[in-house]
Amino acid sequence: MSQELIRNFSIIAHIDHGKSTLADRLIESTGTLSKREMEEQVLDQLDLERERGITIKAQAVRISYEAKDGKTYMLNLIDTPGHVDFTYEVSRALAACEGALLVVDASQGIEAQTLANVYLALEHDLEIIPVINKIDLPSADPEKVKKEIEEVIGIDASEAVFTSAKTGFGIEEVLEEIVKKVPPPQGDEKKPLKALVFDSKFDAYKGVVLYIRVVDGQIRKGMSIKMMATGKVFEVTEVGVFKPDLVNVDVLEVGQVGFFAAAIKNVKDARVGDTVTDSRNPASAPLPGYRKATPMVYCGLYPVENSDYDNLRDALEKLQLNDASLVFEPETSLALGFGFRCGFLGLLHMDVIKERLEREYGLTLITTAPNVIYQVFLTDGNVEMIDNPALFPDPTVIDHVEEPYVRATIIAPKEYVGQVMELSQEKRGEYENMTYVDENRVMIHYSLPLSEIIYDYFDRLKSATRGYASLDYELHGYRPSSLVKVDILLNGEPVDALSAIVHRESAQRRGRLLVEKLRGLIPRQMFEIPVQAAIGNKVIARETVRAMRKDVLAKCYGGDISRKRKLLEKQKEGKKRMKQVGSVELPQEAFMAILKMD
Amino acid sequence: MRKQWEQIQGIYIHIPFCMQKCLYCDFASFAGKSGLMHQYALALANEIRSRAGEMPISERATVFFGGGTPSLLPIDDLKMIINALKETGLWRAPAEVTMEMNPGTVDFDKLCQYQEMGIDRVSFGVQSLNDKELKTIGRLHAASEALQAIEQASKAGFERISADLIYGLPTQTLATFKDTLAAIVASAISHLSVYGLTVEEETPLATLLANGSLVLPSEEEAEMMYDHTISYLEERGLHRYEISNFARTGQESLHNLVYWHYLPYYGFGSAACSYDGKRRMTNAEDIESYIRGAAPTIEQLPSRTSLAEFMFLGLRTSEGIDLSVAKDRFGVDVMAMFGQEIEKYINKEMLSFDQAANNLKLTKLGMKFGNEIFELFL
Repeated sequence: MSQELIRNFSIIAHIDHGKSTLADRLIESTGTLSKREMEEQVLDQLDLERERGITIKAQAVRISYEAKDGKTYMLNLIDTPGHVDFTYEVSRALAACEGALLVVDASQGIEAQTLANVYLALEHDLEIIPVINKIDLPSADPEKVKKEIEEVIGIDASEAVFTSAKTGFGIEEVLEEIVKKVPPPQGDEKKPLKALVFDSKFDAYKGVVLYIRVVDGQIRKGMSIKMMATGKVFEVTEVGVFKPDLVNVDVLEVGQVGFFAAAIKNVKDARVGDTVTDSRNPASAPLPGYRKATPMVYCGLYPVENSDYDNLRDALEKLQLNDASLVFEPETSLALGFGFRCGFLGLLHMDVIKERLEREYGLTLITTAPNVIYQVFLTDGNVEMIDNPALFPDPTVIDHVEEPYVRATIIAPKEYVGQVMELSQEKRGEYENMTYVDENRVMIHYSLPLSEIIYDYFDRLKSATRGYASLDYELHGYRPSSLVKVDILLNGEPVDALSAIVHRESAQRRGRLLVEKLRGLIPRQMFEIPVQAAIGNKVIARETVRAMRKDVLAKCYGGDISRKRKLLEKQKEGKKRMKQVGSVELPQEAFMAILKMD
Repeated sequence: MRKQWEQIQGIYIHIPFCMQKCLYCDFASFAGKSGLMHQYALALANEIRSRAGEMPISERATVFFGGGTPSLLPIDDLKMIINALKETGLWRAPAEVTMEMNPGTVDFDKLCQYQEMGIDRVSFGVQSLNDKELKTIGRLHAASEALQAIEQASKAGFERISADLIYGLPTQTLATFKDTLAAIVASAISHLSVYGLTVEEETPLATLLANGSLVLPSEEEAEMMYDHTISYLEERGLHRYEISNFARTGQESLHNLVYWHYLPYYGFGSAACSYDGKRRMTNAEDIESYIRGAAPTIEQLPSRTSLAEFMFLGLRTSEGIDLSVAKDRFGVDVMAMFGQEIEKYINKEMLSFDQAANNLKLTKLGMKFGNEIFELFL
């Protein structure tokens, strides 16, 4: 097929602005899938994605479309996640495209996360087609949104397409715009194979399946290929396209998007971002790759049953095959035993991984509170990167500590500017600037410690603005901070997994809140449990979990037996997620208490 | 010869009528429906006749009229039900026939009639002997009426008289509770059930507590009431034979022991529950549906569940469990299956195991924290 008839594009949208529905309509209206095969959010294949209505993994689909000019085009849609945690996935997908649909909700307008993704697309020189969706809603104001797109993003929106993915309105026009505006790929079919790996997944039968965009040349079954970063050579066993299920074809030609498998057993041999070439006739230079995703948030994952340790490691390894941004290494906690310190792109990513481990691998886990990675400068001149509060060095050997800052973009209705600033100030933010998005909404930039974002910034921002604010952020380097480690002692014994690193000024308050919170969370046991917060040797707060007095004397006759049993079952279930720490049983919530205190 | 657990050992008859619903009550009992009594009794007699052959029954199977307030049932209706039991051979030589009643619903004549009909044990819902407390929880009788009723039952010839008490009531103090306990022990009762007040959701009591109209005694105070109950009753010769039941020697409730020994029983009437060794069957809860003949709900009990129930019921008794019975009934070696956990609680002095007798039981401390241990076997 001529490259002239190929269009590679992705969709950029804020959560809930209708990206998945639009993708569904495009697939459906072109007959790529029959009505019978269609289901909602067809590209979101993880159960979690469907339940939460979000996209986590990038997905691809090939659509065949007969345009008004009478020609049949091959459209490759690469679906991308919208959440800030998965910006990395987005940039990979965008690198494989020439264009992007920018989907904006006609009544909500542009949100902070959309902006970040549009800028990414512009960096990749993508043609942007504005699509204003949900115009069927009574509150829709497409003309205003059009203006917003022009003023805030600075692209021409005069030809923006108005759609309602829900009703199907405007879908045809979107397809025509893609054909007209997205440039066809510009590769050279005569040059040696050069293909960009934009994703991969592990299949028990096929080995690693690589998702590629062919930039030059072609790839076919039986061909011997070389991974340019690793130099490893493999024989291609299968080539295919996404419909959106994997369907084998003989060859992927220049400009096309598809997959191949080559009996690659080790995912490390098939890195995302690598360039695939012909081993017998290799390209001279690889394509520009991607930056490796850097984890921003760390936490400890521990099996409730110590015997599940090996299962947890296996499960993490398997998930890592499909998610290179997940990092983990073994760690030992005095309180929790053997587990792993894991690094994630953000809190949603952490949540998703934890939930997948529990659901797909049947594990019951204890998660410690997430934290950022600190740079600790020691008096002897060494620098330590600390990703676990328990390992924070003794204050006497610390010269100073630096913590990661982000540049946060907040978009909110103008009447909430005061609240946003007050909150950001309280969270140690530094004001940068503010601009108007339209006459009602402003965009504010703040420099904020990442740890505050993890702590409760977003929740509080939402409640301060009645849910109207959106937030996006990017890492913006390290800055010195006055930080201290707060330890928690139960029964006089420090529990390493409960330690937290906090700003010196709020240490007292957080310590007090934390022990109060823990007192409420730790179930009463047969003995009294003192709960203390301490900085070094100095106790800054203390509470007591009173001893459990007794069971209530209760009837248990013929008719009560089932009910009694069910109560006992519930009681037992409640204890499942408890971890024995010394003589005290701690529930999962106790380890998260530091995050949920206000 | 048939094993004990292969035969019905007890018959429960549910009489769901009450004059007034107590504030804490969430049992299947109804006030203001006395017009249905005769129809209900007919339906009961019917159920007895149609189900009598379901399972072999011990000649000595106990009978228990519970409620609600069984003593509200007219004598003729009661006779009809007893006749149905006799005709069908369910009532031959019962080891015990109990009737629950509320003070204020019986007089000397009625008690004599019960006696003549073969009822040999009465159980009074006394709850407290403090008028203020009784009023607070919506009981209709006064303390003096309760003591009178016990006295008359004794005069009518009943030797087996039981009373129910509740501790931890709103407005109750350790002192008033001690008075109640002393007065009841001084009466003619030979058996006592003592329960801690459980606030069930959606009862008027729950509402009154939630909005602050009523206040419960502190946990510390309730614990003192509990401790006092255990030591005082023991002192007075009422030994604790089950977690919340106390009796003079030989006066234990044989019917309730059927439940705690996990033996089969019939339950007739609305909301009544039957157990045949494999299944539990519960009749429709509301009176009208029951009269209309609504189908019961059936719960199959897998052997693992049965074992768990056998364990947590048996451990409620002071004598504990003969583990060879568990082996015999379920083919399971309990010590092999739960040994590690059991060991843990033996070390905590909450369980004790007598190897020679193959007997496992709760210690006094274990009885105080029973739920913690019962959970093990689920």
